[in-house]
Amino acid sequence: MTGRTPVADQPRPDDSSGVTVSGDGLAATSDVARVKPLPGWERRLPAIYLVLLAIAVAGLLGFPRVANAYNLTLALTVLLTVSLATSWNMISGFAGYTSFGHAGFFGIGSYIGALLIFNETMPWIPAMVTAGVGTSLVALLIGYPTLRLRGPYFAITMLGLSEIARIVVTAWESLTRGGLGVYLPIVRDTRPNYYAMLVLTVVAVVVSYFIGTSAFGLTLRSIRDDEVAAQAMGVHTTRYKIAAFTLSAFFPGAAGAIYARHVGFIDPPTVFAVIWSIRAIATAILGGQGTILGPIVGAVALTLVSEQVWAENPFLYQVLFGGLIVVIVLFLPGGMMELLQRRGWLPRSRRL
Amino acid sequence: MDLLQVIVSGLLLGGVYALFATGLNLIFGVMRVINLGHGELMMLGAYTTFWLFSLYDVNPLLSIPISAALMFALGVVLQRFIVERVVGRPLLSSLLLTFGLSTLFMGVALNRWDADYRSVAYRPLTGSFHLLGLDVSRSRLVAFGIALLVTGATYAFLRFSRFGKAIRATAQHAQVAQVCGIDVGRVRLVVFGLGSAMAAVSGSLIVTIFAVNPEVGRTFIAKAFAIVVLGGLGSFAGAFAGALLLGVAETVTAYFADTQLAEAVSYAVLVLVLMIRPSGFFGAEE
Repeated sequence: MTGRTPVADQPRPDDSSGVTVSGDGLAATSDVARVKPLPGWERRLPAIYLVLLAIAVAGLLGFPRVANAYNLTLALTVLLTVSLATSWNMISGFAGYTSFGHAGFFGIGSYIGALLIFNETMPWIPAMVTAGVGTSLVALLIGYPTLRLRGPYFAITMLGLSEIARIVVTAWESLTRGGLGVYLPIVRDTRPNYYAMLVLTVVAVVVSYFIGTSAFGLTLRSIRDDEVAAQAMGVHTTRYKIAAFTLSAFFPGAAGAIYARHVGFIDPPTVFAVIWSIRAIATAILGGQGTILGPIVGAVALTLVSEQVWAENPFLYQVLFGGLIVVIVLFLPGGMMELLQRRGWLPRSRRL
Repeated sequence: MDLLQVIVSGLLLGGVYALFATGLNLIFGVMRVINLGHGELMMLGAYTTFWLFSLYDVNPLLSIPISAALMFALGVVLQRFIVERVVGRPLLSSLLLTFGLSTLFMGVALNRWDADYRSVAYRPLTGSFHLLGLDVSRSRLVAFGIALLVTGATYAFLRFSRFGKAIRATAQHAQVAQVCGIDVGRVRLVVFGLGSAMAAVSGSLIVTIFAVNPEVGRTFIAKAFAIVVLGGLGSFAGAFAGALLLGVAETVTAYFADTQLAEAVSYAVLVLVLMIRPSGFFGAEE
């Protein structure tokens, strides 16, 4: 592992404060190793993570055999949230371009998927993939003009674009049936949807791992930490941002389509609801934005806790998430990952 | 004649938008915080007027000072204990923070008051005047007058009073202002309170014109951004012109096309202007 040196070729932001860049130590070991030796277990981290991932996937694959309908749906929701949070983190955590528009992608994807099934254009599995690819294409079109904007303006523009998507889908009745919504054939068996969501989530996590540990991810972080410096070092920042954005849109799109098949009915107010963005943001920042593990941990923890509340009262759910975002921004900007690292339960970040 | 009628109606609504957007603009100008919760402060103002009217029969015009005072107090508390902590931090953390606040307030309001639409049907404010052959809605005309008055008073306060001068100095350069002996912490408290009160007044006025529910803030914050984009930072006149323009554009779209699309006008303006002028928006500010 010590042979990995893409870091050396990377542009470094001019950052005299020595800010830590990576949030967790997934692949950071080799670089830290050059600075000072690590305790034995930290050096074997990639292998440890691989084993943990394999155990988790095996457990999740076997889960439908033992779970009842309620628990299976709950697990599906957890996976959905993990893929939302992980994909949000690709553009907002790694590249620092906070997006309030994830709900827009979720809605677009659900509509593509639902309409493909409804019109019997193709079987459902290709329809899910098409939904993801279609949403990525939308992101590519949106990203080209909006990602020239600086972070805060991008954030606000995405808030607007998500609403425009909802209004267009509602108004375009000939294609989308407008406010009537789309009814899909009833699927009694949750398992296929669950497995589809599991595959999607694993892909999202693997992609996130590659972003987090590659030169590509390092470039995104350099944009987050100092975009002007990155540009000055010759990084074509817009191109990298668009790539991350396009990649990140695939997952909410495909997840939206699977969700549509799972619930059997969608209409604009439900799939374009801001709560989807709120979910992605709150869970990702709770875990720790800009880290690989953070969004996973945050999404699992928060979904398991909040699903009880959601069942009781969806508005209370919103109160909970809103309050949580405030508390995290004020008191724990690095999320749970930072807390665990400070305690020494997780390996510390590498420095650029 | 129809068109003229629609334009007048849009201009009157635009006056209320101006008051709302000016509050947001003021807060950003002084503290460099984009308050995504501004719409929810407006919503709370609207509900104050609604409940005072429907529970205690308070004249909606008399409840305006009450709703302004309440939101001023809430604004001061928010600023003192929450927002102050992100002043000087990157814009994105204040955006996330105020996004959380907005979600929180909206959730509480939905929780307490449902998603039903409410409006204040105060007799003397219903119906319309005949003016130069046009039908002018009473509630819109009165709302426009009050919005103009409050915006003008704020302008005068900033322009001519001693504290207003301190506020402008802080907006120009907080550190230099501090060195000159201005209590910038207190300036920020007052500014956040003032901005919140302006949002509250616009909410109290809006609820006499049309029905609102707890989600109204989200559409209004987009309008405010569109206005600020059109008018430019710190310019009262610019924001006012932008607000009137948006009011007219929305009413015309609603009349000739579709109310759904009217809702999209502000988002479209926002996105288009930002794409044409990426550094635009609140000036050339990072």
